[in-house]
Amino acid sequence: MKFDVMLTGVGGEGVLTTQVMIARAANIEGHYVRGVQLHGLAQRGGVIPTFIRFGSEKEVSSPGIMQANADLILAFEALEAVRATYYARKEKTTFVINDYPLVPIYASLFNIPYPTMSEIVRRIKPFAKQIHVFRTSHLGREKFGSAIFGNTILVGIVTGLGLLPLKADSLREAIKVTAPREMENNIKAFELGLQLGKEKRSARRVT
Amino acid sequence: MDVLEEPGKKVVLLGNEAIVRGALEAGVGFVAAYPGTPSSEVPMTFSRIAKKVGLYFEYSSNEKVAFEAATGAAWSGVRAMTSQKHFGLNVAADSIPPVAYTGVRAGFVVMVADDPSAWSSAQTEQDTRYYARMFKMPMLEPSNPQECLDYTKLAFDISEEFEIPVFLRTTTKITHSIGTVRLGEMKKPKIRGRFQKDPDKYYNLKPHLQVLHERVNEKLKQIEEKYGQKLNTVFPGEGKIGIITSGVSFEYAKEALLELGLKPPIAKIVLTHPISKSFVSNFIKDKEAVLVLEELEPILENFVEQIAKEANPNLVIHGKDLLPKSDEYNLERVIPALEKIFGKKLGIDFNDHKKKVDSASKNLTPRKPVLCPGCPHRSTFYAVKKVFGDEAIYAGDIGCYILGALDPINMQDFIVSMGAGIGVSHGIGIVSDQDVVAFVGDSTFFHAAMPAILNYRFNNAGKTPLVVVLDNAITAMTGHQPHPGSGFTGMGEKVEPVKIEDVVRALGAEVKVSNAFSQKQLIQALQELKSIKGPKVLVSRGGCRLLTRRQFHAKGLAIPIFQIDQEKCTKCGICTNDFACPAIVKATVEPRGETVYSINPDICLGCAVCMQICPEGAIHIAKREGEK
Repeated sequence: MKFDVMLTGVGGEGVLTTQVMIARAANIEGHYVRGVQLHGLAQRGGVIPTFIRFGSEKEVSSPGIMQANADLILAFEALEAVRATYYARKEKTTFVINDYPLVPIYASLFNIPYPTMSEIVRRIKPFAKQIHVFRTSHLGREKFGSAIFGNTILVGIVTGLGLLPLKADSLREAIKVTAPREMENNIKAFELGLQLGKEKRSARRVT
Repeated sequence: MDVLEEPGKKVVLLGNEAIVRGALEAGVGFVAAYPGTPSSEVPMTFSRIAKKVGLYFEYSSNEKVAFEAATGAAWSGVRAMTSQKHFGLNVAADSIPPVAYTGVRAGFVVMVADDPSAWSSAQTEQDTRYYARMFKMPMLEPSNPQECLDYTKLAFDISEEFEIPVFLRTTTKITHSIGTVRLGEMKKPKIRGRFQKDPDKYYNLKPHLQVLHERVNEKLKQIEEKYGQKLNTVFPGEGKIGIITSGVSFEYAKEALLELGLKPPIAKIVLTHPISKSFVSNFIKDKEAVLVLEELEPILENFVEQIAKEANPNLVIHGKDLLPKSDEYNLERVIPALEKIFGKKLGIDFNDHKKKVDSASKNLTPRKPVLCPGCPHRSTFYAVKKVFGDEAIYAGDIGCYILGALDPINMQDFIVSMGAGIGVSHGIGIVSDQDVVAFVGDSTFFHAAMPAILNYRFNNAGKTPLVVVLDNAITAMTGHQPHPGSGFTGMGEKVEPVKIEDVVRALGAEVKVSNAFSQKQLIQALQELKSIKGPKVLVSRGGCRLLTRRQFHAKGLAIPIFQIDQEKCTKCGICTNDFACPAIVKATVEPRGETVYSINPDICLGCAVCMQICPEGAIHIAKREGEK
């Protein structure tokens, strides 16, 4: 068994913490885990493509995912979902997108406007089995006082939707270790996402 | 912390964290380092746990000093370690070879992280494996976090057994990769020792120098004999074509071969210096061809070529004929090379897929790294450009301000190495009458800039450049490590911070200090300094706003944020196109297609500089919900 998750977003959004959270949950279930975080220069407002791979030790060894081979792509920033298509293909990949634009300074500088959500979905469609769009950062800010909780809500949603093959309990345990200072709110954010995901399961998809 | 978990447990660790755990299992007692990504999490992890574990840790002022301190500990019988990125090793390089000759008493591991593809670097993609050859030191290369732990531990043992410092070399995709790691028993660190005079060991003047040289040659020979077979592994397989690989390339090879359904024999080399001649010779003697998979330079490949001359002259050797010497490897690079050699296809056309992706991403708003919202450097760059204009030469240096190389700042005309902006500017100032401004960070100032400023004073000729020290009181780029000006050490002890202006005065230069967040103060100080002849330095002081926000949060306070008064905004675009803070957003609002400038409250860090540069006075502190 091998499952390839890609997280993408912008430096400062908490992508790395989310990576650690999911990796720990996979470890709790006894999977062999690999992955890579790409930071450094990219920490400062750049794109942070991040990978988590889990399954059997025999099948998982490269730290990064092969082109066109992600099972699940979580885009914490909407525009970055488009650049993540490098790792996606129609037969395999599900996109879950946080509709939260962080407009790069280049939009104004080079006069290349930030695309609308429907434009983003249109560009991704040829690479996606399914596309789900949620406004989790807004929800995080509204319910828990900070957009950063949108990350845990999103993890809850993919768990609820059955898109991330890990148990809710493993993620709860991982959240406790990964975010001890904001544990209570993070657990609540996860439960909220889980619920949203479960409800959405029967609802119509965005695509 | 997972890195301190119980023995026998399986945890997910970053390669750098696994290295720390390996050192703890070896009983390391003394660690000194200057941070440099992709190695930064090694010292950061030590810094967090040093007190708890009971070992000594310090952030040294640079890599050379760190190496020297660790040498002192290892000579005195305490297991020691130092870590750095590839360029950091260049700084330490002056002191390393004599220690390789004299050897050590307790185990001494020199960890170095290369950065193929330059994820965390500018400048070059240097391959530090050459250093092992030049300095005559053994080098171990892990492939994944588990091996980071195992081989760090073993490196201490080899070092102590042969009394020689040992390199542990990684690359970004190892140190920054995560992986499942099974933990072993930690050893209580020995932190006290004693230096014993021993001329036979430390006296490195001629003719005893040649004795030491022969001794290190002999040590390497013995290490090759003892560990050449033990550390390197052959994974048996089918056919007459073999793979020879090491480091992260092994991980790619393993997975790529599985994807392709191929099972050739693989020789994995962990001890990449000295490489075992008999190991390589045994592997290649019955092969028709081999593919050598290694990032950057063809070091293994050249070695195989040399051995093949005797062991198997007809062997066909592939490597850099199919793969690049620059950039990093990945599955998409390794698979086509294997496809070519084995004549088997995966069925995914990477180029075709790439074309489709490019077409889907056409005209997509680019996103590059950028100085954070609220960054004091943006404010300083803005003021310097106001005073010195576009024509002045702007010398760059190493730190967050490297991002000043990008649009719209464009104020890093060249970037060489830590402190080099000031040194190179000296030469320009002597041969040219151009205005030159050399930027340098606070940590970089202490690390390598002081001799260059001193040289301005000593050789006070030509048009002396202005040095601008961007002082945010922390080593920010690598993750907020303290330096001599920060006021605390790597162990978390409070110390009196060294003031940069005091040092500058002692070096013989004029100095002015300005608040980095005050455009008025900055411009006044810059204008005054511009007219001064001779060595001159502006210290632009303002804390990293990421840390300021953290300090606010710790006190339960919210950082003040700003907003734009839509009535007063004339949409001139200075805040987005000249100042270019990422928190300020220009957007088209439907349904009327109106352009609106606003500040994203989620990322504004309240530096208040946009308020000062807005010609209409349209930016002011935002009221929070519930505030009057």
